[in-house]
Amino acid sequence: MGRRLLSLHAGLVYAFLYAPIAIVVAYAFNGGRQTLNWEGFSTKWFSAALHDDSITSALRNSLLIAAGNAVVACVLGTLLALSLPGMWRAIRVPIDALVTMTLVTPEIVFGIAALVFFTEAGVTLGLMTVLAAHVVFNASVVALVVRARFVGMGQDFEEASYDLGAGPLSTFRQVTLPRLAPAILAGGLLAFTFSFDDFYTSFFVSGAGTTTLPLYVFSSLRFGVSPVVNATAAMVLGLTIGAVVLAYVVLRRSGGRSGGVLPLR
Amino acid sequence: MEAASDLPEPTGRRRGRGGGPRYPPWLALPALAWYVAFFLAPLCFVAAYSFAELSGFVGIDFAWNLENYRYLWDPVYGEIFVRTLGLAGFGTAATLLVGFPFAYWLARYSRRRTLLLLLVIVPFWTSFLIRAYAWLIILDPSFPIFRALHVDLLYTTQAVYIGVVYNYLPLMVLPLYAALERIDWSLVEAAQDLGDGPLRAFRRVTLPLALPGVVAGSLLVFIPLTGEYLIPAILGGNKTAYTGTLIAQQFSEAHDWPLGSAIAMVVIASMTVVLVACSRIAARGEVGDG
Amino acid sequence: MNEHEIEEGLGGRRIDRQGFVAGAAATVAALGLGRFGSMDAFAASEAEGELFYYNWADYVNPKTYPAFTKATGIKVKKDFYVSNEAMLAKLKGGARGYDLIVPTGYMVQILASEKLLQPIQWSKLPTVKRNLNPKFRRLPFDRNDRFSVAKDWGTTGFMYRTDLVKERPTSWREFVNLTKTKYSGKVTVLDGIPEVIGSMLVMLGYSYNTDDRSQLDKAKKELIALKPHLRAITSTEYKQQMIAGKIVMALGWNGDGLAVAVKKPAAYVIPKEGGEFWVDSYAIPVGAKNPDAAHKWIDFVYGARNNAVETAYTYYGSPLKPALLRGVLAKSIINNPAVFPSARVVAKLQANQISARGTALRNRIWTEFKNA
Repeated sequence: MGRRLLSLHAGLVYAFLYAPIAIVVAYAFNGGRQTLNWEGFSTKWFSAALHDDSITSALRNSLLIAAGNAVVACVLGTLLALSLPGMWRAIRVPIDALVTMTLVTPEIVFGIAALVFFTEAGVTLGLMTVLAAHVVFNASVVALVVRARFVGMGQDFEEASYDLGAGPLSTFRQVTLPRLAPAILAGGLLAFTFSFDDFYTSFFVSGAGTTTLPLYVFSSLRFGVSPVVNATAAMVLGLTIGAVVLAYVVLRRSGGRSGGVLPLR
Repeated sequence: MEAASDLPEPTGRRRGRGGGPRYPPWLALPALAWYVAFFLAPLCFVAAYSFAELSGFVGIDFAWNLENYRYLWDPVYGEIFVRTLGLAGFGTAATLLVGFPFAYWLARYSRRRTLLLLLVIVPFWTSFLIRAYAWLIILDPSFPIFRALHVDLLYTTQAVYIGVVYNYLPLMVLPLYAALERIDWSLVEAAQDLGDGPLRAFRRVTLPLALPGVVAGSLLVFIPLTGEYLIPAILGGNKTAYTGTLIAQQFSEAHDWPLGSAIAMVVIASMTVVLVACSRIAARGEVGDG
Repeated sequence: MNEHEIEEGLGGRRIDRQGFVAGAAATVAALGLGRFGSMDAFAASEAEGELFYYNWADYVNPKTYPAFTKATGIKVKKDFYVSNEAMLAKLKGGARGYDLIVPTGYMVQILASEKLLQPIQWSKLPTVKRNLNPKFRRLPFDRNDRFSVAKDWGTTGFMYRTDLVKERPTSWREFVNLTKTKYSGKVTVLDGIPEVIGSMLVMLGYSYNTDDRSQLDKAKKELIALKPHLRAITSTEYKQQMIAGKIVMALGWNGDGLAVAVKKPAAYVIPKEGGEFWVDSYAIPVGAKNPDAAHKWIDFVYGARNNAVETAYTYYGSPLKPALLRGVLAKSIINNPAVFPSARVVAKLQANQISARGTALRNRIWTEFKNA
């Protein structure tokens, strides 16, 4: 019935999502220079990519920025999420609007705004400016995810904790935080993703020498398709899938049967 | 984006009062400070620049006039803006069309949801540029599929549209899923038991409950699309002008920061209008249903 | 309160503590690194041995980098731009830390007036002083040789596949007409505002550098009529595309035309109406971490042998004394009029000297061009 059709549609969507990626990976093993002519299986492009300074330093920059930004975003976002429900409406609504704005402002507008700001303020562009810019968006992401979880999870455990005599700080530490943890982690993962993948903002505020992986791919893209970039993409993909699988397994085991990583319950 | 309907606000700080601790509002300060410093302040500078003028090759002269806006009041820019809105509208409609059934299936019929959801996010992690670039390979005329079909889509508007749907689909699916996942499917079944056909049950039960997700997803796709310029640049042959292209040109080629800022302000203004309209609709919706 | 929630509340704790500790460690590491002012500080400790070269894409023979490192011990870090304007925007936007850039002549002037360049120290360039062709000293854009040293020179015209385009066009007018008719959809133009607009101006008999509104308007009309027939606007992809036969004609630089001709039958044309003649120069931006390394690079590539290696890769004219090149550079290249056009031909061409007003007018045209 309709259900079968929907499953078919879902399958097609997954195929659509993964086809390009599969192609990139497949061609990463192409021995030939011209990407589109298959010339035998080879792993030489992988070693070429690993030995290429521009690629490894771009990757390192991306990882550093993404990780740093994820941690800061988690802290800021969680604090924000916790404080919001307790606020007076008059304060909460504008803050909500602000958070929404940070999420939906087209990135190019935000990117150039950050550039203008840093230039006027005389700040040298570099890793930190990229990180600062990324956190703006990602703190909102974390806040959203954590808040959804927080508001929906009820205060029963906290009540119990108080009944047992614990103070607010230790209650938070021992009861609330662990319960929020999956949400914070999910938010952090999303923050990491968005930062790692970011182009527009990074393009404008990265200055000299802080090329991130997307920026590097962009500048090589100008030449069209290249096998070394293919290999890099395949490696990043492998890393990503590995990390996601790991996160899933770990969180699943800790979260019990439900596998409730995402707090969308 | 508002979270779920507000719980009765927990009052009191300690035991016995029917709720846990209420977290002090000042916890929000670090995040707010960050927003002010790295979001609001930059936007204020952009606003200020929009009233300045380019002097010489790269200088900025704060003439405090509306010259830039007058410059933009020209059919060319109107066309570009309309074209951009068209792209944004198409992207929203297309991702909704493709994403809704998908999210529905995910929410209602699938097992191992978390894994499947993560699988939707994983392509996101391969860097949007690599994904766009993968399409460069696929759309290349010598690539098997399209070669067999004798179709050369590379550098066409169709290529841009495909790229847009591909990149923005996860952004539509996630909020849709979040909303659909909450639905108590027994309600739908109950409606059907009471005589509604499946389509009617969908319209009367599922759709209204899914609406917040639709709105959220649409916002997340539509508004950023108004600033998109990479996909037209990479997949479209770099030959079409969208608002994002225009802004990028002013900041990375023409060096007319004041003009670029003015264009950015127009984008921000239109985005604000859309947001306000959406929140009005959402508010009215809430009140209407009771 | 069901089983799941209890499990979560208790079991979840173990993992997330570890997670947080790991996360905290990562932050400390990341922020600690970042504290010292971005990768620049990281690089500073290696500054003795590193050159940060911000250059046009594909403008250096890949063999030259390791040869340079071997000779001097300095490693080369690279970043790329596709147009002078993009490079200017980056520098003006606050990017500091590049040691060496390669602006075209007119851009040297602009950068100098914006105080973005530091003076060249000729005492550090013995090889250059010996080998530089005197014709490339005191060029109009840098009369005192204060900020720049010529890298190479070339022209902007168009190229085509001789096996796919039998018409043998020799003028801009033919290029445009063929694009609008027979080869519609198979032609690209550079992603360069002055080059593309300038070519149209020259075709109409006007100056490449004109400020005249009505003249620019006419050029704009030509461009808008041409636009629907273009496959793409690119400065980097057209080489590969032409070799693959996806495009048959392209507005581009002479060196690229030759790079194609080496692989497939192709010709580069300096059109009858004229075109652009340019000199690219080495320059050292303000804020360079290792200007010494920059000087070393310039001196290195001015060695006759090294220069020949470069010219044989990029196919752009060398600024060295011609006598030095004989013997190290292939005759076919030395005698190739596309690489080393005669003085007579060069006399017909114009160098970019567009004013600020002209630039602003051209930017506007470019927008309308892209909108068409």
